[in-house]
Amino acid sequence: MRTHSAALTGVAVASILALTACSGGGESVDLDGTTDSSSESSSEGASGATVIAAIAGEPDQLDPNNTSAYFSFQVLENVFDNLVEPDENLEMQPALAESWELSDDQLTWTFHLREGVTWHDGTDFTAGDVAYTYNRIMDEELANAWRFSAVESVEAPDDSTVVITVTQPSPNLLSSIGGFKGLGIVQEANVTSGEIQTAPIGTGPFSVTEYVSGDHISLAANEDYWGGEPEVAGVEFRFISEPSTALAALQNGEIDWTDNIPPQQVADLEGDDALVLGVEPSNDYWYFALNQDVEPFDDVRVRQAIAYAVDREAIVQAVSYGTAKENQLAIPQTSAWYTAYDEYNYDLERAQELLDEAGVSDLEIDFMATSDYPESSTAAQVLASSLEDLGITVTIRTPDFATWLDEQGSGNWDALMLGWLGNIDPDDFYYAQHHSEGGSNFQGYSNPDVDALLDSGRVETDEAARAEIYAEAATMIADDASYIYLYNPAIIQAWSPDLEGYVARSDAAIRFHDVSLAD
Amino acid sequence: MSRILGHPVVAFLARRIVYSAIVLLGVMVVTFALVQLVPGDPVRIALGTRYTPEAYDALRAASGLDRPLPQQFLSYLGGVLTGDLGVSFRDGQAVAVTLMDRLPATVSLAAVGLLIAMLISVPLGIWAALHEGRISDAAIRIGSQFGVSIPDFWLGMLLITLFSVTLGWFPSSGYIPISQSVGGWAHQVALPGLTVGLVAGAIMTRYIRAAVLEVVDMSYVRTARSKGLPRHTVTFRHIVRNALVPVLTIAGIQLATILGGVIVVEVVFAWPGLGRLVYDAVLMRDYSLIQGAVLLIAALFLLVNLIVDVLYAIIDPRIRLS
Repeated sequence: MRTHSAALTGVAVASILALTACSGGGESVDLDGTTDSSSESSSEGASGATVIAAIAGEPDQLDPNNTSAYFSFQVLENVFDNLVEPDENLEMQPALAESWELSDDQLTWTFHLREGVTWHDGTDFTAGDVAYTYNRIMDEELANAWRFSAVESVEAPDDSTVVITVTQPSPNLLSSIGGFKGLGIVQEANVTSGEIQTAPIGTGPFSVTEYVSGDHISLAANEDYWGGEPEVAGVEFRFISEPSTALAALQNGEIDWTDNIPPQQVADLEGDDALVLGVEPSNDYWYFALNQDVEPFDDVRVRQAIAYAVDREAIVQAVSYGTAKENQLAIPQTSAWYTAYDEYNYDLERAQELLDEAGVSDLEIDFMATSDYPESSTAAQVLASSLEDLGITVTIRTPDFATWLDEQGSGNWDALMLGWLGNIDPDDFYYAQHHSEGGSNFQGYSNPDVDALLDSGRVETDEAARAEIYAEAATMIADDASYIYLYNPAIIQAWSPDLEGYVARSDAAIRFHDVSLAD
Repeated sequence: MSRILGHPVVAFLARRIVYSAIVLLGVMVVTFALVQLVPGDPVRIALGTRYTPEAYDALRAASGLDRPLPQQFLSYLGGVLTGDLGVSFRDGQAVAVTLMDRLPATVSLAAVGLLIAMLISVPLGIWAALHEGRISDAAIRIGSQFGVSIPDFWLGMLLITLFSVTLGWFPSSGYIPISQSVGGWAHQVALPGLTVGLVAGAIMTRYIRAAVLEVVDMSYVRTARSKGLPRHTVTFRHIVRNALVPVLTIAGIQLATILGGVIVVEVVFAWPGLGRLVYDAVLMRDYSLIQGAVLLIAALFLLVNLIVDVLYAIIDPRIRLS
């Protein structure tokens, strides 16, 4: 009779397996019909091995102009090119544009394109593609349209020339179009067919060959790449959201690279010969802001008092186990645009004095962190405990990020915390966040002097003068405690010692063009 | 013809299909309403933290979210009736395609998990019940209590540490479709399947023990024993057979639970199943994908229930298909 019960189980299981078989396991999108099964991808390719890289999440889509997801850009960094691109010091270098010149009135940028560049499908890349891409972003009001706010027109007078006309001198144009893959050059046919979202065609060092929803994306080396054929046969990006699993997979040799490392393990990993650890200070920053449309945070003394009560060292230890770098302004020390500032060192006495001056006591703060960025809830707890020493009661809310964004927009908060990612030009660090008309000025900051400085910084073409403008603006913003800056997080990546030539970059761009993989 | 239609099985199935359709319609209404009530704007999420108001309006209009709610629901309903579950906000792909991509991974994990759970729980549960009060019963009860209390997250990490990192026997993550390579699939599914199976098996052991114990006390078992029937005949023909109905019920519920998404296990093992898809869809406020996934899970739930009901009738002819 035991067989009877086994048979019943068998029926149930068989019907489920039949269901599996019906749906055919047809999850792979075989884009060119030449790719082998993904299980083979760790073996030798045509010209070397395939790098297996684990990223912490799945791209939402692969149209660079349309996505805002970091996981998309991690992959697309290797697939698309921009006109210009940042080097490791974040200086703009030629990419699809070989050279460029600026007219005397600073209003016309002429880019000369590299000859002989082809798309992954073999067709020729031309200036028309560049004009198409930029006009698409502006005409369709895509998320990155704000980067072209000063652009009047983009034209392609011939196949190898692109002319961008701006309404005012725009010294940050190069970093606007080159600093971010969201401005990557796309192919019109690929866009109009709609295939770009899952099967993008770029001009970059690798082409997308297979996308298995929820599991991985495979890239193959582009042998016609203008920058030279990559040494590895391809890259497979696997989506592993749990950091300890990603680390186990790296230690186990299943993957060659990951940026999904549990921060509390970084200290232990430093002595681990089985992997290479890259800890690089980043251009990202985390800030804390008080809602200036709400009393008493409209009083600068109250904001300053709170700024003095921030124990940055404790926060950095708690959120990053010491890997992040404390900072009192947005731009990190490693940048050419860095400004020294250390006014708000932890000083509870000064904080209390300021609160007394403002006549504020028994303050209650509704602090909005978000559960999707756990460091914000951790930092919020550290902040709350410092503020309690001043008799301030802090209530921490941690909605998910979608709700958080809604609440931020509706002004329903006293304090919040978040980070900004991937900025290069100082205009990116300050204008949207602190100009009275800035699109991301949710804290309601308004200072006419800062507005004037930020407006002039946008059009100042002399670099030294521009640096002075931003140093002044940044200092005023910090003095007014529009944002209370906390730290610049570190980029933490780890890879196998067999992966040679990989460089961890401060802009978190993951590039596999120059790597090789020893057997 | 009328004979076929009048057949109890056909009539039963017809009734169940009508019933299922009503349930699914209810699921659609409730899901649509709940999705609207959840705070968080999909357009804002899709655009990131920095964009112009024009970009916001353009995307909202393009995705149809600016239309009145009744109109949105009717067009959704109309789509579902024609087999169109809509387009994902996230990647612009047809929701039906995405769900079918993910279904095999979930179904195969659920099948392996349930199989392992049955292999553990059926013998242990019966053994414990037949040895009630003895040391082996106590050991099984403590073991299953332990299994029920272990967080699946922790168990998964433990298995990875032991079998992937230390022993190197099984991969820690990833998925290979069974259609591509049976061996590769089995290798990949081993650890997540074991995690699901151990947890579900621990729960089921307790239920099976209780179900068998109930039968042991029945008068027909005492009668059978007093007739002098051999011990194993009593055990299997009378006790186990009669305990199968509750066992089947709990197995069906467990299977439905697993199909509905073992999110944590899927996250730990980077398993591309429905659980993680739904989780991501909720975070992204991807309305169509959430609605489609809930509908699919509800349909699977109904299907499992139907199979369980048919199996009842096979085990115990006294249970009618009604």
